[in-house]
Amino acid sequence: MLSRVAERVYWLARYIERVENTARLAKVHSQLMLDLPKSVKLSWYSLVQITSNEAYFAANYDSRSEKNCMTMLLSDPNNPSSLMSSLRWARENIRTTRDILPREAWVHVNELYLLVKSQQEDFETRAKRNALLSVIIRACQAFSGMLSGTMSQNDTYRFLKLGMFIERADMTTRLLDEGGLYIAQECFENEEESHFDAILWAHLLRSISSYFMYRQQYQSEISGQEVISFLTQDPSSARSLSYCLKAMYTIMDDLPNPSAVQTALQLLQQKINAEKLLILGSHELHDHLDWIQSELSMINNLLYDIWFNPRRVS
Amino acid sequence: MLTSLRHYPVNNFYDEALAAPDQPRESAKQLFSQLNDTFFNSFQELQKSSEAAIAQMGISFTVYSDNGNIDRLWPFDVFPRTICSQEWQSISTGLKQRLKALNLFIEDVYNDQQIFKAKVIPKEVILSSKDYRPECRGMRLKHSSWACICGSDLVRDASGTVYVLEDNLRVPSGVSYMLENRAVMKQVMPEVFQDMNILPIDQYPMQLLSMLRSLCPHESDNPEVVVLTPGIFNSAYYEHSYLAHEMGAELVEGSDLVVLEDNCVYMRNIEGLKRVDVIYRRIDDAFLDPEVFRKDSALGVPGLMRAWKAGNVAIANAPGCGVADDKVVYAYVPDMIRFYLNEEPIIENVPTYLCSRKQDRDYVLGHLSELVVKPANESGGYGLLIGPKASKEEIETFSKLIQDNPRNYIAQPTLNLSTVPTVCEEGLEPRHVDLRPFILQGEKSYVTAGGLTRVALQKGSLVVNSSQGGGSKDTWIVVTEEDACFQE
Repeated sequence: MLSRVAERVYWLARYIERVENTARLAKVHSQLMLDLPKSVKLSWYSLVQITSNEAYFAANYDSRSEKNCMTMLLSDPNNPSSLMSSLRWARENIRTTRDILPREAWVHVNELYLLVKSQQEDFETRAKRNALLSVIIRACQAFSGMLSGTMSQNDTYRFLKLGMFIERADMTTRLLDEGGLYIAQECFENEEESHFDAILWAHLLRSISSYFMYRQQYQSEISGQEVISFLTQDPSSARSLSYCLKAMYTIMDDLPNPSAVQTALQLLQQKINAEKLLILGSHELHDHLDWIQSELSMINNLLYDIWFNPRRVS
Repeated sequence: MLTSLRHYPVNNFYDEALAAPDQPRESAKQLFSQLNDTFFNSFQELQKSSEAAIAQMGISFTVYSDNGNIDRLWPFDVFPRTICSQEWQSISTGLKQRLKALNLFIEDVYNDQQIFKAKVIPKEVILSSKDYRPECRGMRLKHSSWACICGSDLVRDASGTVYVLEDNLRVPSGVSYMLENRAVMKQVMPEVFQDMNILPIDQYPMQLLSMLRSLCPHESDNPEVVVLTPGIFNSAYYEHSYLAHEMGAELVEGSDLVVLEDNCVYMRNIEGLKRVDVIYRRIDDAFLDPEVFRKDSALGVPGLMRAWKAGNVAIANAPGCGVADDKVVYAYVPDMIRFYLNEEPIIENVPTYLCSRKQDRDYVLGHLSELVVKPANESGGYGLLIGPKASKEEIETFSKLIQDNPRNYIAQPTLNLSTVPTVCEEGLEPRHVDLRPFILQGEKSYVTAGGLTRVALQKGSLVVNSSQGGGSKDTWIVVTEEDACFQE
């Protein structure tokens, strides 16, 4: 398989996963705003922070209003990490790899792109925004389902899966960071508001459709500690870091020369599982999540060294 | 007689299907007896189903425009163009002869230049060609195959004589459409194929692959052949991907290839770097290697020319072969055939005036309204003057262009291109056609059975290019009763 083609399908899957996750992030944030008491100073700007867009925001926007934050995150065509940009890149990647993907792949993504493009102004009002975000999430899920239902377990499929899992792992760290961020803002200073802590975590879990699975596993009251553990170390939760890394490791068994990157995955896995006591709202949690993000980006680079930009003669 | 051709006009043009009212040509007799009672509305239905098949198969081409590139469905006419196998036999031999001479010429130009020494062709005409590449001096290629894939345009005039109009030696396109046209026809008129003896064309991709493999510059049981495309935005991308797919070769872009210090070409794939032996390139010389040609080319492969000159990779068509795809050089092809092969040309050239010769130029300037003037090295039907249809201003513009740069222009008499019945709004009407067969030359030579018939869909128009409103037809080489072809 050509490196370029492998790289394009890998990014295709990353972008689709990113579109879905960005939509989830925006949706849960909007929901959260409705549930938290007025005294809680939840800011739209935290979405900018979670997605590491502070510098871009500072350069292109003035007030940290809901409208500005949402525009930057969802529809801004110049922001390379906006939902619309991710969708556009997904479409470009699929356009140039059409001959190795099922015919429906292009139809799905192209339709979604045209739909979102024609309804972009819906992002500006809350009610319409949530409806459109739900449509986007569902379309991304349908796309992934269509691929897994029609594709052979070949190299193309493996690179799609790698892209999906690494992006998902990355987004999970960002979601946890969001939870930690609110705590760190000391939004919940006084006792009587502390039960909003649970609301916050429930929302986070819902945003990645993990609430139900979490509930099955932990019957007690939702605790941040357990959510963190569930989303990082749980070996079977579809969105936990541990599960995503393990899945990547297994997929690589069937790719040529995987040992270097498998070793890196294993090391990261061990360190994630060893981390036991992370205090909510602490700098340690934030730093730990930051560190995982940089490790994931290092793994992304390893994929380049081995498969996407090989220098070694086979 | 075909019911729906009852009102078909017979005029001064040579019609490929009808010799006279009620008298089909030999090659079309079987077709006519099959379609005897087919009314025009049935043709319209066939036309509709062929268009549906094209949409469903996704056969498209790209038109470049100011408002971005548009992907259009391939324009196709369901009424086939027929040619007798016997006539084709002779055309095919003539095409091989021509390509053989052209290849010997290219190798000579870049080496001993005997043809200049013998004063058959003036040296300055060749060395001033835009497509002459000094970088190719001293190169000798396996089988002397420089132009390995050639698409020659053939036309038939009112007398029935077939001429070569031009030889496309750089990166000729259209062969995938020839193959797809046949696939569409088989889908919409399967009965006809069952009962007629039409030569098959499907073996082209395999012939192409075996020709490409024969170019491998070193001993190898399984040479790695790749198709090099400029990418999805190129108008012929559909064809690149089609041919790669049919040959089972990788379709690569410039960035997929790398030349290492050993001057070998490698392709980046997930197993690592893999050696490439033969490149079927579909990008122009100028973009091939930024180290040698255009520095700003992002389409090419830095170092590719080094690898080629070191004899580590074959490139088809070879760099520099465009020198023989110049309309001035075209005028000398019959002389080349005599010089290199000591044979008489089997297919004629269209009489050509070279504006670089004073005598010719004076004639051309005095007769612009009767002639077709062409720039020496453009393709796709761009930059033409069609004298009889031109305005006064256009004629003046060309008169000036020719005087400023005579080397860059040739002129030919306006040809009365032959016609073929075509499904039009009101009925079957004659439309002008040309024919582009594809000729391969590696270890062996091969000519497609027929080729791509292009048709000018506008009434009276002579422009057949798909980028300018042309369509296409399936071309049938029909095996008929012995010697029957030439009795008309």
